[in-house]
Amino acid sequence: MSTTERRTMTLNLTEAEMRVLEALAEKKDLSKTAVLRQALRLYQLIEHRTSQGERLVLEDDRLAKKAEVMVL
Amino acid sequence: MGERVQVVERASGQLVEATLHEGLTTRDLEVIERSWAAHRAELVAALMGAGVERRLWPESLHWDWGRKAPLLELLLVNAFGVACRGGWQAVMMTKTAGYDARVSSEAGKPLVYVDFVETAPWNWTISELGRLPVFKGLGSVLIRRAVQQSRAEGFRGRVGLHALPQAERFYGQVCGMTRVGPDAAKQDLVYFEFTRQQADAFISGGGDR
Repeated sequence: MSTTERRTMTLNLTEAEMRVLEALAEKKDLSKTAVLRQALRLYQLIEHRTSQGERLVLEDDRLAKKAEVMVL
Repeated sequence: MGERVQVVERASGQLVEATLHEGLTTRDLEVIERSWAAHRAELVAALMGAGVERRLWPESLHWDWGRKAPLLELLLVNAFGVACRGGWQAVMMTKTAGYDARVSSEAGKPLVYVDFVETAPWNWTISELGRLPVFKGLGSVLIRRAVQQSRAEGFRGRVGLHALPQAERFYGQVCGMTRVGPDAAKQDLVYFEFTRQQADAFISGGGDR
């Protein structure tokens, strides 16, 4: 399959999940499909980097807070 | 397979047919690096031989596309290349997740981030050595493609990048991107961004062909 060919799937979401997806789509000015593609790409990136021993850390300079995110 | 584009052969001033390829593979990048490495090495020798100060050397002289190749296993990474006359003339690597617009009117909305873009060493202008590019217009072809990718992703043409100092004029004045400013998180390289309107203007103006 080429990199541009698309495959279709049906996605079942809860009401809450759909509300979040719609809110993200609105906020990011994206379609819901595009939001899910973004999520998949970022999940793969995080999985790739953490599997190589790196840590995912969220940092807030203003509050001098730092927290490691656990990725399952 | 690829999109037909045109670049300028500097010596003749003629437009030349070229092919813009997307979805470059790890092997493509390794082939490109093998092809370009000898020219990079020759340039280093010439620059040293001519006593050219390091600060005047081409800033991407140390790049190695073979080392960037493993990034292609990530869904968010894409590579494009322009080929003509039997050789790769320019390459670009983009990222399509994890980067948001910084220009206030579109802040927080996703964009295509141009991680690396480089023309082949024989397409560089090196005035200290009296060298001129074989082909011109390659940067515009690739930045135009980044805008197209942004539109296809639903990012409405938004594109961002950090420019090497020698390329700042190209992105700011030739492409018409917003100069956001130096970024301490990226070795103080200046960050540039295409808003949706600027991208439209760049494309409708011919992408500065």
